[in-house]
Amino acid sequence: MRVMARRLVRCGAGLILGTAAAAVELLFALLAGVALLPVAAWPKGRRAVLRPVLAGARILAELERGRLRMWLDLRVTPAYEDVRALRYVACHWALGVLGGVVMLTAAIGLAYGTFGVYGWLLLDGIRNPGSLVLGSLGGFFLVFLTVQGIFGVVGLEGQLARHFLGPRHQEELERRIAELSASRAAVVDAVNDERRRIERDLHDGVQQRLVALGMLLGRARRSQDADRRDRLLGQAHDESRRALDELREVAWRIYPTTLDEAGLRAALETVAERASVPVGVEYALAEEPEQAVATVAYFVVCEAVTNAVKHAAPTRISVAVRAEEKRMYVSVRDDGCGGANAAGSGLFGLARRVAALDGSLSVDSPPGGPTLVAAELPCG
Amino acid sequence: MRVILAEDSTLLREGLVRLLAEEGHEVLAAVGNAELLLKAVAEDPPDVVVADVRMPPTHTDEGLRAALEIRGRWPGVGVLVLSQYVEKRYATELLTGETEGVGYLLKDRVVQVDEFLDALERVAAGRAAFDPEVVRQLLGRTTHTDLLARLTVRERDVLAEMAQGHTNAAIARRLHISQSGVEKHTNAIFDKLELTGGEGYSRRVLAVLRYLGS
Repeated sequence: MRVMARRLVRCGAGLILGTAAAAVELLFALLAGVALLPVAAWPKGRRAVLRPVLAGARILAELERGRLRMWLDLRVTPAYEDVRALRYVACHWALGVLGGVVMLTAAIGLAYGTFGVYGWLLLDGIRNPGSLVLGSLGGFFLVFLTVQGIFGVVGLEGQLARHFLGPRHQEELERRIAELSASRAAVVDAVNDERRRIERDLHDGVQQRLVALGMLLGRARRSQDADRRDRLLGQAHDESRRALDELREVAWRIYPTTLDEAGLRAALETVAERASVPVGVEYALAEEPEQAVATVAYFVVCEAVTNAVKHAAPTRISVAVRAEEKRMYVSVRDDGCGGANAAGSGLFGLARRVAALDGSLSVDSPPGGPTLVAAELPCG
Repeated sequence: MRVILAEDSTLLREGLVRLLAEEGHEVLAAVGNAELLLKAVAEDPPDVVVADVRMPPTHTDEGLRAALEIRGRWPGVGVLVLSQYVEKRYATELLTGETEGVGYLLKDRVVQVDEFLDALERVAAGRAAFDPEVVRQLLGRTTHTDLLARLTVRERDVLAEMAQGHTNAAIARRLHISQSGVEKHTNAIFDKLELTGGEGYSRRVLAVLRYLGS
């Protein structure tokens, strides 16, 4: 009830302000009309007059947006065109007048309703108490009606603002479709980048080792000298073990199976263990995130840690994962030399992966450090 | 032989250096990118260059570009290109222009040490060496299937051996037939493929390859 009453008072005040604004807007619209009339048929002149008019309309529309937000709890996007602001200003005055009328009616109702309280100050003696009670009942009824009126006008305010300033439903849909197409294309690109990297890993790592191994064996077979043959076979044996290690590394980079088997926390701890720099992991999620989100979070950490170790020579890296209100925040901070390039292939690929989930990735890496890579992902 | 190696994987480069040294060849230089390769060849042209196709900085075809440049500037230097997988384009590019002493092997072929050394010697001697896999793919993808269809199975075998760069004597040895038998087959092949018989061993190989790759 208290919340309701507070809201009613705020809306009422907002409408009164709206009425004041309407007076200014009406004046502005009239002046703009008068200024445009003589140059209506002359394009160049029309453009010259329109420029200040549109600028004025934008200022008024911005003020209106402020009023709607602060007093009426209505949020409208600031991304509207000047022409639409002018139309809004040209139409809004009528609603301002309506709001004013409603508030005036409320005042009259209130005056009648409470006449019994101060009536004796104005009148010598109350001859007809019955009609006074009736009058005050009527006054209160009027107040009740105007309360409905206030909320009604607030609803109209919202509709008008959205109609002129807010994105129309169609536009909203188109924007979203464009966004989705872009992020889908980015996903495809990111996947292709991954594949390229995997191919490179296989060829430049595993294949080279296997070829080297084969060469050692070939040399051993050609060798006439038993001692040398033994030595070459020993080297080949070592090389085969290294090839296996390399293969395991590559497989791990392609997809960490720990993620499926033991969850995100375990996978991140493995990243920390494998890094050559001390990595602290602060994991504060109450429940395991969805697989898609967990995978992206894992790759953000993995890539950021790898990058830091490779380029920034840090002494310590700290990883933090937490969730708040259906959003997951992943941050990787290192005390290295900074200067990471967010447009570089690794980080750019990450940004695309994150964007594919409607998340965002930021990289803050001033020269001299420290570097902070932070991702925000929707989850739940 | 005097050899220059260009291979970006240190591991493989060292392995090749050792292998060649054991075989008594002289490795003049072993480098990790195309720029250094050209510099090394300019300083002291070797008998043969072994170059990996993919090298830094872009890991696309720097090695091949360098090989083609060496073919153009130092025709006396044999060039053996190693590739991760068969790229018909690379084979075709190597086969255009002057084509004495070129080779194109799959990298994995290095594991067959004997075959690799044999190919290297052939290229150094101004002959050709093409990976059986390259030949197989060129045979498989050729646009002249109608003409190839005229060949007997035996003639196809001989063609494949020929395209790899083997001499008639070597083909006879490898297919266990007499050398005159090989000559008979080769003449039949040239007739059926409507190739005008040129002089010289390498030219006929390259004629076949170029024909298949076109």
